[in-house]
Amino acid sequence: MAALVEMRNIVKIYPNGVVANNGVNFSVERGEIHALVGENGAGKTTLMKVLYGLEHPTSGEILIEGKPVHFHSPDDAIAAGIGMVHQNFMLVPSFTIAENIVLGKEPTRRGLLDKAEAIRITEELSRQYGLKVEADAVVETVNVGMRQRVEILKTLYRGAEILILDEPTAVLTPQETQDLFRAVRKLVAQGKTVIFITHKLREVKEISDRVTVMRNGKVMGTLPTAEATREGLARMMVGRDVFLEVNKPPVQRGRKVMEVQDVSYVSETGRSMLKGVSFNVYAGEILGVAGVEGNGQTELVEVLTGLRPAASGRVLIDGKDILNRTPREVRLAGVAHIPEDRLTNGLALTASINENVIVDRYYNKPYRKGLLIDYKQVNKLGEALIDEFDIRTPSGLLPVSSLSGGNMQKVIVAREFSFNPHILIAAQPTRGIDVGATEFIRDQLVRKRTAGTGVLLVSADLAEVMSLSDRIIVMYEGEITGVFPNAQEVSEEELGLYMLGLKRQTPEEMEAYL
Amino acid sequence: MVELVLRGIFSAFFVASVLRISTPLILPALGGLVSELAGATNIALEGIMLTSAFTGVVISAYTKSVFLGVLAGILSGILIAALLAYFHLYLQTDLFLAGIALNIMATGGTIFLLYVLTGDKGNSSTLASGAVPNVTIPMIHDMPVLGTIVSGHNIFVYLGVLLTWLTSVMLYRTPFGVHLRAVGENPVAAESLGINVRLMRLYAILISGALASLGGLNLSMAYLTLFQREMTAGRGFIALAAVFLGGRTPWGTFIAAVLFGFFDALSNQLGSLKVPSMWVQMIPYVATIVALVVYALRKRAIYLERARKFQERHLAELQARGARPHETG
Amino acid sequence: MKILRIPAVREFLRILLAVVAALLLGFIITLLVSEDPIGAYKAFLTGPLSKFNRFGDWLEESITLIFVGLAVAVAFKSKQFSLGAEGQLLLGALVSGAIALFVPLPGILRIPVALLAAAAVGFIYGWIPGYLKAHLNANEIVSTLMLNTIALKLYDYFLIFHIKPPNAGYNASDFFPKAGVLPSFVPPFMGEIYTRFSQQTNVTIMLYIMIAAFIAAYYMMFRTPFGYELRMIGANIKFANYGGINTKRTIILVFAISGIFGGLAGAHLAMGIHTKLIMNISLGMGFEGIVVATLARNNPLFVPLAGLAYGYLRAGADVMERASDVSREMVLVIQAIIILLVTAEGLLPVIQQRVAARRSANGQNAAALEGGENG
Repeated sequence: MAALVEMRNIVKIYPNGVVANNGVNFSVERGEIHALVGENGAGKTTLMKVLYGLEHPTSGEILIEGKPVHFHSPDDAIAAGIGMVHQNFMLVPSFTIAENIVLGKEPTRRGLLDKAEAIRITEELSRQYGLKVEADAVVETVNVGMRQRVEILKTLYRGAEILILDEPTAVLTPQETQDLFRAVRKLVAQGKTVIFITHKLREVKEISDRVTVMRNGKVMGTLPTAEATREGLARMMVGRDVFLEVNKPPVQRGRKVMEVQDVSYVSETGRSMLKGVSFNVYAGEILGVAGVEGNGQTELVEVLTGLRPAASGRVLIDGKDILNRTPREVRLAGVAHIPEDRLTNGLALTASINENVIVDRYYNKPYRKGLLIDYKQVNKLGEALIDEFDIRTPSGLLPVSSLSGGNMQKVIVAREFSFNPHILIAAQPTRGIDVGATEFIRDQLVRKRTAGTGVLLVSADLAEVMSLSDRIIVMYEGEITGVFPNAQEVSEEELGLYMLGLKRQTPEEMEAYL
Repeated sequence: MVELVLRGIFSAFFVASVLRISTPLILPALGGLVSELAGATNIALEGIMLTSAFTGVVISAYTKSVFLGVLAGILSGILIAALLAYFHLYLQTDLFLAGIALNIMATGGTIFLLYVLTGDKGNSSTLASGAVPNVTIPMIHDMPVLGTIVSGHNIFVYLGVLLTWLTSVMLYRTPFGVHLRAVGENPVAAESLGINVRLMRLYAILISGALASLGGLNLSMAYLTLFQREMTAGRGFIALAAVFLGGRTPWGTFIAAVLFGFFDALSNQLGSLKVPSMWVQMIPYVATIVALVVYALRKRAIYLERARKFQERHLAELQARGARPHETG
Repeated sequence: MKILRIPAVREFLRILLAVVAALLLGFIITLLVSEDPIGAYKAFLTGPLSKFNRFGDWLEESITLIFVGLAVAVAFKSKQFSLGAEGQLLLGALVSGAIALFVPLPGILRIPVALLAAAAVGFIYGWIPGYLKAHLNANEIVSTLMLNTIALKLYDYFLIFHIKPPNAGYNASDFFPKAGVLPSFVPPFMGEIYTRFSQQTNVTIMLYIMIAAFIAAYYMMFRTPFGYELRMIGANIKFANYGGINTKRTIILVFAISGIFGGLAGAHLAMGIHTKLIMNISLGMGFEGIVVATLARNNPLFVPLAGLAYGYLRAGADVMERASDVSREMVLVIQAIIILLVTAEGLLPVIQQRVAARRSANGQNAAALEGGENG
């Protein structure tokens, strides 16, 4: 029997040159729950976007029930019976659940909305598939679990036979996850097919029939879940990558530059993103934070740099608590920050390179002379940094937007390094950047560390973390679940297990090394 | 003296005058509401009103037909709105600047054409323009209080109420209205469901043009049957304020517009009292600012309250698990 | 042409083209309505230079426009869409007029005090919406519009009920005494030149103050730490915050400083041009400042040029009206077309993007499949 969905030799290259899918073969049988796993950047979301018509493949073909199809937009995919529930919900907050479900395809009576019918449809679908929702509740007021069920019902309303769920449990509590699994089983019992994108191996074992592992844009293997072990899957996911040999003199730790004590943070929607995180950073070392994205690293960095208020706990630098202080106060305490999202936070695209570089020091000598800014000094600094950091641009007076991604990041790095911080927090510093700039930045990080700065490196790129760090801590679900005082002595597989939540150390085990 | 004025205020005539004065605020406010809810605030309401007021007068004078005048007025308003939509949606002009430009164009253009056609820059009194009739409701008209309040108004007044109701129905009970509101609130979600965001915003702007044009026609073809330079006197902007003051709902906007009209009418009454009318006239504007502040403070209070509750719950959870703060590391 | 690569040159050409296109359209309109279109348009284009007092009109109106343009430019450059210039202008006129009329100081003190008061009241009236925006995130468009009307009512009230002389026929104040009138910008010892300028024009020492103002505004915006903060907030407020800039404080100051210029514009209208307080003294100039600022791309250095250019069109329209059958309001239509064309960002970039996209798509695929990159 032909597979329900077959994707043959899918290649997807983005305009910026990134190869997201490199000859992927993927097929799904009718009525199965098929898990698609891989780390961030493995290409699984891209593959599904291609299947859903959100992206066009550079080459390759898709067959539904043996017949080739071409999806120009999600409308085509929906018409073919495919539905997708994205990680970011697409709901209108002030509308009710029923209104959201029927949005775009409302039932009408004599031209007017048939609200009763919408509610009836909602309740019918809800009952049929065991997805409990309150049809007339306003979406804004319901919890995340219910919102997700609304998204699933949306696809079912449009006649989805094949449901793609993109990291659905990323936003759920453990209880809600169980509810979701029950719902998924019920869907399948009624003849639906489910593709489940995830990086959580525990869930793969629990819910799926077959699993496909992707890494770096390629499929590493497809096998029945019963035959897969979590360790085996982890090995396929994390793999033996060639990671860069970095010349690192042995670590010479100095004093404590940052003490993080029991920091907790709850998001606006009520999720605990950080649960009592504690660790220290010492001068002269790189402390790497390993972990799959979404386990609280982003929040941790933003809390430590003053960009996110309303956290509890303490962050001590030289005995002074900088938690919940303004970004300027944090910087004045000696904390530099290479932000995860360089375009949003790290740069002002329309301003010149030189002006981007002085944002943390424009009010001080020598850049300020009396009431004015001394642009001669500013430009001198700009020139020096362009030279030192090999930023490819004819002039520092040009807007940052004229640079390539890698060079933009170098501007940020140049700025943050050059203000001689005690501690440098680098979040995803080489993400999405060309190889040359990546090597350069990594090299610079090591130099800074050897010169005595404390570096906190947060990266979803395991190879990077392992090769650069002296010590490694692993974050999982808002907590530190492992610490490795000597980065050379831990293997990728071991780290992988911690990152995926399969192994953890007790607080007592970790205490001495944090 | 004061007593006379008070009695004047608490009279049926006064209520009727409030309705009359509010209508040219209600109509453009509804237009502002529709475009605002779609995420394309129409700053050019003022210019659209002026344009339609002028066009209605001119066309009705030259064709000797009230109907054609009104039709032309509405079409001219939609045309201006179409220009706004085109420049913003298709040429990426900042909505705000384009709206201001069109207001300036309308102010200048109407006076310019007025002069060309009549040789007079003040008003169009030399043109015999049409008047939209008043409506007398048969039996109610003769009733003592109710009659004055409800009957005898110009058609536009009844249109104001009717259109408020229709707008409400459209926004909340038709698929079109639902799509429009979705586009304004979460365009990404709407787009993902196949709703064409740009097209919806185009429709919204055109509708707002039509509604605002009715407001303009109300000014020049109802109680006054001529066009005066700058006769809109800022009503297009007051209409926007009414939208915000009214919480961005049709009937809220209606009430806010009536509120502005009330104070306007009140200040007329007080004129005879030698009380400076300006203080009364100022009230709705101050009220709008106060409303803005209150709204913002409330939002913040809600956020802080929620954050505090979660923190409490979170700390309780930690303690239940046995972790003690400030011990590890 | 290589010179076209410089973005500043491109901008300037774009604005020039927009103005030319608008003028052409204006000419077509004139053709349609006038019996002597060429004569009318000639009067329009050369009017301000034809007679001395017209030249003076041009200059004095331009000064008002430049002040208002500076007010708008300062705010808009920081992406704060303050429309409050109109209200600041009115209150500035009111306060300076009151001092000019009633404060018994010799002219040499009275005038600076009046000017300072106008600047101060503009500062305060700008501070209000700034505070609301910074701390409460209140929409500044609504708040400044409301404040404008409130200012107008206050102006009318004080004019009619407190300032207007009791036996006056219509709503205006007395003419300001000499001690309250801005002196001509030409000093008396210059003899004949002085007589010409002071009798036929209202170009006052405000000219010098205007020059000082725009230079100060330019330096402030591009050479001071505060100006840097202002521009970074306008470029990317998240970046400004991340970098340590106190965005709340800066935003409030931006609104307040913008108000200073608005207040001074009002003082100019009251003590320079009209030398008394009248109803409707502002004539909507507050909004025309937006045109000037837009033409100057919110750069104080170009505001005088834009103000003079725009003021020229305005003055030319006045002349045209007196010399022909075309009314001056046509200039408003031309203004509007200029704004629309100048701000239609989409016209050029769309074409550019299509070309760039085609170029990159061809070169990329081959290289990518060989090299491979971490996604």
